[in-house]
Amino acid sequence: MKYVLLLLGDESGWENLSEEESQAEMEAEMAAYQEYDRELSEAGVFVAGEGLQPTSTATTMRIVGGERVLTDGPFAETKEQLGGFYVLDCKDLDGALGWAERCPASKRGSIEIRPVIDYEAMGYQQPQGSEEASR
Amino acid sequence: MRFLLTIYGEERRLAERDDETTKAAVDAYWALDNEATAAGVFVESAGLYPTENAKTVRIRDGEQTVTDGPFAETKEQLGGFYLLECDGIEEALEWAAKVPAARTGSVEVRQVMDYEAAGFPNPAAEGARSA
Repeated sequence: MKYVLLLLGDESGWENLSEEESQAEMEAEMAAYQEYDRELSEAGVFVAGEGLQPTSTATTMRIVGGERVLTDGPFAETKEQLGGFYVLDCKDLDGALGWAERCPASKRGSIEIRPVIDYEAMGYQQPQGSEEASR
Repeated sequence: MRFLLTIYGEERRLAERDDETTKAAVDAYWALDNEATAAGVFVESAGLYPTENAKTVRIRDGEQTVTDGPFAETKEQLGGFYLLECDGIEEALEWAAKVPAARTGSVEVRQVMDYEAAGFPNPAAEGARSA
């Protein structure tokens, strides 16, 4: 069963650091994530994972009356912001919660765990002749 | 460069759909998956169960807390995502416009960090954060 781990944290924490502090913090953070990624891979649960540019770089699109409406910034202002995600293939929710607990982001922000829909198992067969089976 | 398209909508409206409408919606997303794959931009996609299935984990002072529900209550809820390899934001926005939910909800587009380019090479040969 696949689960998405959404990594949420207060982006402004980075802005208050000096360049030197920021660099040291970033290196420690990267080392922690590299170790975490290694554990995920060794356990065979890693499917995908990325870190995101800050929400200041986000663009949100809506199509209204056939026209694109673009706004700068994320779809909603929240106290914590989405900073990255993992897709993990775990046996069950407890397995996913265990990995969430070990994720560096759980110590200062929040990790939201959401199960991924298996559309084929729900009876929505993918049209014939297509290779991609992830949805 | 990679872009994450996060898909937001009012999930209570999804719950009101009949089977035929749901099937048409799933087929539309499969068509988009296939189009993105054929164009060579597809990396990953997922649809998520409603936020009533969400759990949120925090660790403070070594103590783990798990709460039911998403990290924040919002008018629209995260329902899925696409991870795409595009030449730039313009191409990513082209794909965002093709996401069916752009017509009923919102699609947020964010570039993914390239840690290697930022000077943080991955020590593991493979399998870790793919930059």
